[in-house]
Amino acid sequence: MTNTLQAPSVAQGAPAPRAAGGPGRTKNLLTRTRPWLLLAPALAVLAVLLLWPLVRVFLFSLQDYGLREIVSGEPNWIGLANFGEIFTSPELYTVVLPNTVGFAVLAVAGTVALGTAVAVLMAALGPFWRTVVGSAIMIAWAMPAVTGTYVWVWIFDADRGIFNETLQALGLQDEPVNWFTNRYTFYAIVLLNVIHHGFPFVAITILAGLLGVPKEMLEAAEMDGAGAWRRFWRIIVPNLKQVFAVVIILSTIWDFKVFAQVYLMPGGAGSNREALNLGVWSYVESFGQNRYGFGSAIAVLLTLVLLAITVVYVRTMLKEDEL
Amino acid sequence: MNKRSLPIVALGLTAALALTACAGGSDDTAGGGVDAEGQTLTVWIMEGTNPESEAFFDSVGEAFTEETGAELDVEFVQWADAHDRFVTSIAGGTTPDVAETGTTWTAEFADAGALAPIGEFVDEAGLGDDLVEGLVESGTYEEELYGMPWYAGVRSLVYRADIFEELGLEAPTSWDEIVAAGEAIKAAHPDMMPFAVPGDAEFPVYPWVWGAGGEVATQEGDEWASGLDSAESQEGIGFYTGLATEHGFSSAGATTWKETDVLDNFAQGNVGMALMGSWTPAAIVEKNAELEGKFAATPIPGKDGGIAPSVLGGSHLSMFETAENKELAWEFVELMTTGEFADQWGQQSGYFPGQASLLAETMESDDPLVAPFATQLVEGGGTVPVTPKYGAVQAKKTTNTAIQAILSGQKTVEQATADAAAEMNEIMNG
Amino acid sequence: MSVSTTNTTADVAVSARPEASVTPAVRTSRRSARKTRSAAGKAVLVVLLLAFTLFPAFWMLSSAFDSKAGTGGQQLLPREFTLDNFAYVLTEGGFDVFLRNSAIVALVTVLASAVLALLASVAVARFRFKFRTAMLLMILIVQMVPLEALVIPLFVQVRDLQLLNTLLGLMVVYVALSLPFGIWMLRGFVAAVPVELEEAAYLDGASWGRMFRSVMLPLVMPGLVATSVFSFITAWNEFIFAMTLLGGASENYTVAIGLKQFFGEHSNEWGYIMAASTIITIPVMIFFVIVQRRLSSGLVAGAVKG
Repeated sequence: MTNTLQAPSVAQGAPAPRAAGGPGRTKNLLTRTRPWLLLAPALAVLAVLLLWPLVRVFLFSLQDYGLREIVSGEPNWIGLANFGEIFTSPELYTVVLPNTVGFAVLAVAGTVALGTAVAVLMAALGPFWRTVVGSAIMIAWAMPAVTGTYVWVWIFDADRGIFNETLQALGLQDEPVNWFTNRYTFYAIVLLNVIHHGFPFVAITILAGLLGVPKEMLEAAEMDGAGAWRRFWRIIVPNLKQVFAVVIILSTIWDFKVFAQVYLMPGGAGSNREALNLGVWSYVESFGQNRYGFGSAIAVLLTLVLLAITVVYVRTMLKEDEL
Repeated sequence: MNKRSLPIVALGLTAALALTACAGGSDDTAGGGVDAEGQTLTVWIMEGTNPESEAFFDSVGEAFTEETGAELDVEFVQWADAHDRFVTSIAGGTTPDVAETGTTWTAEFADAGALAPIGEFVDEAGLGDDLVEGLVESGTYEEELYGMPWYAGVRSLVYRADIFEELGLEAPTSWDEIVAAGEAIKAAHPDMMPFAVPGDAEFPVYPWVWGAGGEVATQEGDEWASGLDSAESQEGIGFYTGLATEHGFSSAGATTWKETDVLDNFAQGNVGMALMGSWTPAAIVEKNAELEGKFAATPIPGKDGGIAPSVLGGSHLSMFETAENKELAWEFVELMTTGEFADQWGQQSGYFPGQASLLAETMESDDPLVAPFATQLVEGGGTVPVTPKYGAVQAKKTTNTAIQAILSGQKTVEQATADAAAEMNEIMNG
Repeated sequence: MSVSTTNTTADVAVSARPEASVTPAVRTSRRSARKTRSAAGKAVLVVLLLAFTLFPAFWMLSSAFDSKAGTGGQQLLPREFTLDNFAYVLTEGGFDVFLRNSAIVALVTVLASAVLALLASVAVARFRFKFRTAMLLMILIVQMVPLEALVIPLFVQVRDLQLLNTLLGLMVVYVALSLPFGIWMLRGFVAAVPVELEEAAYLDGASWGRMFRSVMLPLVMPGLVATSVFSFITAWNEFIFAMTLLGGASENYTVAIGLKQFFGEHSNEWGYIMAASTIITIPVMIFFVIVQRRLSSGLVAGAVKG
């Protein structure tokens, strides 16, 4: 551990002389503790505000933790009863899990597909239009989730929203429809909102990767008569494997955690039970019903689902790469 | 025991009327002898109760500083967020010194150990006999008074008088007449919503339950039993939601409306009839001055006539355990709930004061936008179950969920009410 | 450069150009027909994409400037142009205060998390030490924890630190939330700085700190920009913690939670709501468009090396 050689994480195989410590000072105390000194502030913050809370949410999930316990700080252990209640509640299987997992799958697929398509399109554009499109998708990305949600709510507003008014003007429907009361239309709007907000990151990232693919490879393939579709799968996808992996992981993490986009929609804060997802369920049980233990158990479940899914991706991504 | 009928008796003004003379209390306050120079009292007040609340609290603040030397820091909180916010602040130990608490919450917060008992202060000030009993009842938890009665309000049927006149309609006195009036408005003004049925509101539901002879919940021994799934309750809820689903009097958008949305749309002139509170007329005129004099109120009709009870809502002023200077907090509570300021608040907001002697005066009003509410209050006031658990039922939006599910067609009346009753039983007996 | 730079701007713009004028040779004409078709296809796609991407922002602006927004029957452009909505929101609506709070929170979060993440990333990228791999795995895992899972314990934690209802409490939490991503991302950039450059600095007699400032820092700048964007978004947009940690202290509200409160009070006055939304969104948009170029190179470098 006293070895302060350069980490070969990227510059693998590079000559590894004494770099970090500086010449002639390699063995002194400062050098040995330097990595820890550098890490200390970040670690302190992470430990107090992420790790310990993470342990605590697990501890809470094993308790009947209500307002009284929060105020007094006394533990109130009940074992796995909270989890028992979650797994025996029918709405977990009919509503909450499908809303969470099903939505995340669709959202990730939609975001990555649209983002990739946009990236390919942008790569095919000249510099001027590429900048125009680039700026436009930046605007979509920049819109905060809270404002974006309200804008979509306004567009789909039952009484005065432009969507209903347009459909009526076109004669496609006679009466205004409240799109927020039906579970599927509710989540269709959330999906639109999340994809609209999420695809720019994917597009920008993949575009940059695309521009790095050697032009000669593509030209050679074109000479061989490979169509655009085949060129995409044969050359671009393998070359950008890592970029895709990162993009999919991040999108999965983000799309599983949709909260504001659901909570702020009409009926999304609990009165429309069919619209609950794990995050909102956890929140309304904790802060509405003062059942912090039960809410924590739901949160633990959400974390586990998320970890299970991401671990698969992480393995794919890091297979060849040393950490 | 039928909890709902309690306030009707309790409000019994016979006792209160006798006390009209001693409207005092306000003159005692100066003698409180609290000198709190340099201190600040933080207070949470619900937003939207009184359109002039900023000016009102400016003058309260001045009077308070004059009397005690302390500063007043008033924070306005929205009803929609308030419950969560109280709970969060109780959990976090960041409660204010004094706060307006909805009558259905006081017992819950007292149960959590967050409120300070105020019985002694009340007795010392000699106010014990001069408080509206319905509000005392809901402010009492385990024999201790935690919520100082401040104001009471009640919902009645508010309608567009100009349109009723134009169509030759009378204020409805039975359910059939509501439907008839609705059909007439629908025919004459197809753009209007004849009767607004908000899907995300709980209190406009219960009058129909009670008006059909049903119950929200009844207590036997320690057990609560929800009555929402009884045949009577289902008939009432079926009629109410039927106004939207069968008769088309409401709109698709209203399925996700809160009561504030009803108010906004009424003020915009889109609504013919709706159940609205005694505090809304001032707000309607404030939002749209053109409507002044064009709407009126009438007590909510029962199924075949008579008056259907409506929830006696309102607020307490509660003192939190975190208040460092409880004497000072009481000075403020007393200043607000008795005498001049209580009277002024009632007049500005359209609520009825919680001090019995003041209430008696208000009852004599013949203002067309006060008298019908007063009648409703006295002859048809009801309360939701008085238990600390009821706040959790509200936070779970049990009734709202049921109404929304019926309006959107997710569930039938029978299914929705059965589910709601089951959920209510589970929470209240949990 | 790109795959098909041959298709220039001009091709898209004049895609309707008649084929006949190009060349009579059959082979060439077929090729140019294909080219024209693909240019036309691209033009259509670009238009569709721009419409989808910009419509919400456009609709927000249009409603914000319309004095009658919310009364129904709205057209694509404001019927009666007005600035009243903005004036109301910034004065009565209290967004002047919310904006200031958010600016403070965002600034502090960006700076603090950039410094902490940079230091930590140098440690994990440049040094080998015990538990290094464990540390990296931990950072990766905490990044995946859903925020909702942390709301309850963080609420209790911040209460124990006596920081509820304060901006400081919120900032500390946001720094913690942006750190894992920042460290993970910057690590790639730091590792990419050639060791030879560092050595050259030492040979010139520079100390480690000096080398860090004048060699390392400029080279990892694009990475810092990318991570700063993320911490900025976190701080500016975050909703659930602002809602729970700020509780009733509306004088400390950030824009996201301020907008929710405002929506509660004015739920049917869409002109106000959209004006407020516009005010919140504009700073982020400007920031994004400015950093666009650096951001994309930063992202890819981070992603590929991640």
